Amino acid sequence: MSAKITLGPVLFNWPGEVWRDFYFRMADEAPIDTYYVGEIVCSKRAPFLAEHLPAVIERLSAAGREVVLASPTLVTTERERQSVRELAASEGLMLEANDMGCLGLLAGRPHAVGPMVNVYNEATLAWMAGRGAVRITLPGELNRQAIAALAKAAKEHGVELEIQVFGRLPLAISARCYHARAHGLHKDGCQFICGQDADGMRVDTLDGESFLAVNGTQTLSYTYNALIGELADLEGMGITRFRLSPHSFDMLAVARLYRDLADGRRSAAEVAPVLAAMVGDPGLSNGFYQGREGVASVPTL
Amino acid sequence: MELICPAGTLAALRAAVDAGADSVYVGFRDETNARNFPGLNFSRDELREGLAYAHAHGRNVFVAINTYARAGSPEAWHRAIDDAATLGADAVILADLGMLDYAARRHPDLRLHLSVQASASNPEAIALYKEAFGIRRVVLPRVLTIPDIARLNAEIDVETEVFVFGGMCPMAEGRCSLSSYATGHSPNGQGVCSPASHVRYEQRGDDLVSRLGEFTINVFEDGEPAGYPTLCKGRFVANDRASYLFEEPTSLNAISLLPELKAAGVHALKIEGRQRGRAYISAVVRACRQAVDAFEAGKPVPAAALSEITEGQRDTAGAYKKTWR
Amino acid sequence: MDDAERQGRIFETMFARLALTAARPLPPALLQPALDLIVATLRRNHPHAFARLEELDDAEVLIDPVDLPLAFRLRLGPAGVRLRLCRRDGEAAGAVIRGEFPVLLDLLEGRTDGDALFFSRDLVIEGDTAVVVALRNAVDGEDIDLAADLAAALGPFARLLAPARQAATRLHDDLAELHGLLLSPATRRLEGVERRLARLEKKSH
Repeated sequence: MSAKITLGPVLFNWPGEVWRDFYFRMADEAPIDTYYVGEIVCSKRAPFLAEHLPAVIERLSAAGREVVLASPTLVTTERERQSVRELAASEGLMLEANDMGCLGLLAGRPHAVGPMVNVYNEATLAWMAGRGAVRITLPGELNRQAIAALAKAAKEHGVELEIQVFGRLPLAISARCYHARAHGLHKDGCQFICGQDADGMRVDTLDGESFLAVNGTQTLSYTYNALIGELADLEGMGITRFRLSPHSFDMLAVARLYRDLADGRRSAAEVAPVLAAMVGDPGLSNGFYQGREGVASVPTL
Repeated sequence: MELICPAGTLAALRAAVDAGADSVYVGFRDETNARNFPGLNFSRDELREGLAYAHAHGRNVFVAINTYARAGSPEAWHRAIDDAATLGADAVILADLGMLDYAARRHPDLRLHLSVQASASNPEAIALYKEAFGIRRVVLPRVLTIPDIARLNAEIDVETEVFVFGGMCPMAEGRCSLSSYATGHSPNGQGVCSPASHVRYEQRGDDLVSRLGEFTINVFEDGEPAGYPTLCKGRFVANDRASYLFEEPTSLNAISLLPELKAAGVHALKIEGRQRGRAYISAVVRACRQAVDAFEAGKPVPAAALSEITEGQRDTAGAYKKTWR
Repeated sequence: MDDAERQGRIFETMFARLALTAARPLPPALLQPALDLIVATLRRNHPHAFARLEELDDAEVLIDPVDLPLAFRLRLGPAGVRLRLCRRDGEAAGAVIRGEFPVLLDLLEGRTDGDALFFSRDLVIEGDTAVVVALRNAVDGEDIDLAADLAAALGPFARLLAPARQAATRLHDDLAELHGLLLSPATRRLEGVERRLARLEKKSH
């Protein structure tokens, strides 16, 4: 079976039209098999996307792509719960649960489990499969050994596994908005200040070393997680779904690079420097996969 | 309301019981619990002794097995659950779905509490754990306001336990990889956040610099109160400004909110700090005991003078108040 | 902390200072038997704590009481726990714990919270933090009372301790009166004890 390249939800607060046009362009040209769409970080931003969501779904579907609706990561308020209930009641498209509440509502029907849900071992995977999970995207901090063990279990239970292979890695979610806090604002009066940073706000140490990226209530790695030389290894385990996380630079080019890499048209040695040049200063990391600190960049070539 | 107190050692367990804990929670000395600190926690023999002491005083002991079992080698987690059940623990505190499933099947009579590390933050999530595994209690994540908790309690039929005092994660618990991004060790995997093995304190002139892995987490001037080099309590530069971006080095102190918590339907109050010394345990448990007793007797809740033992020597009501967000 | 404990702390600090001041010019080997006796006594009374310390990887911790003339090196690990006297500026250790002697003694006996001391900067940690945390956790898990442990080990000599404690407390009070009049090095060193006592008194009221 040939590998699938997938695109995770846009994590950042892009203007509605930019968000829509991004998908329109990708739909026509990108070698992407599955799109996960929806606002999963901050419920305050959701209305901006909701306006364009039907058109995006229609365009992607018309281009023959699979569309999966992704549920929010942190659900606490009445309004957030309502939106999850509505999502779970919708028909036609597959849903990806990013919180346990949504997972609970999807019992008994085929669904996907997102990387924000803690699937660390075979027992958890088996339990989810028994309740209707057909696809699981694993959390970013798992190492190769854990992924290999889970891949074996996934095969037994008929579950597809997916791994994020490119993009800043979400590391934490909070009820507090750090974007607002950094600008002396409160979450309730945030002025949507997170919209200033299309790929997250850089966070440096007091010694001037760049460390993290803040995206509203979410904290991500400053480095771009990139599994390149590892792709063949993953395919060897039977994992054939590779997820890219959208950023503001040329994602079409990124998608083509990964498609070529998966198809053997380009080698990891060719792809790595191109991606490194695209992300620039933050650099690439693969530490989690290699069983090290996530920030580490371990040569695999 | 039930008062749940931490213990990292037998001496601390005895101190907690003596100071008035209704229940004490402990962990085994390995990576099956979220306070896997060097030299801390209980052997099987120590748990047996601790259970005997607590039960002789009519108190409970809960065993926290609240990390996520490692793929390919879940044996340590299975053994922890089996041993806690065999030794007579009054409950186990779990987070991992696979381990909840294991415990519910193997030990149907064992009381299951859902750890804060499961971060079940809405009624739908809690209902799932209740229906699937029969959990009897949920420890609520520290992302909820008191009105959130009240609404939640109106919709669920399991007991809720909330933190009233101690260290505070500004992030949703059990969903944070900040520590492993910097050190390779995470609360979910190894049961440690910002582990001591990766911490270095350096004197730089008059300044004290705390480092975690390759990153500077904070710089304290001479005499300035210090904090743990926990990543989210560090000082960073964002938007051209150095600040405690995520959270100040501070401790949660919600003792004064007891009446509101009770009104919101909270069943149990939890003190954080299995890694703290028994002097801390004694002082905090005693203060909380007095507060709960006063409240339940209809008297005003005394303000607890605990600032000396709190991180950064200050405290906060945290997410319980919406202004925290 | 009650009066007897307060007297005990003053006594122990003064005793340690006198002993170490007297010991400074002596070759360390002469004092080793006394330190070995202390460690052997503690081991006998607190086998659990020692088992934890011997589970650790080999490590040396410099324990530096800033108000005493000499420091200690504590060896941990499978080869056994050993305490030696040393100069504070001697050979580097894997980890350093630095603070006033009464503070360190409180920490050993679990009377105070190490984290709190660190927050307030009364305790300074350098080097391998994991070893320091392990050491703290191992001793905190035991009900150590150094004076009682040693008194038991000293047998009949223990009876001498009570009057000596009282005498030391009287001496301390006399010195406290002189405080402010004389800024001698001796009184300066005592300030640490007093500050500590003031805080403890505040706490116990």
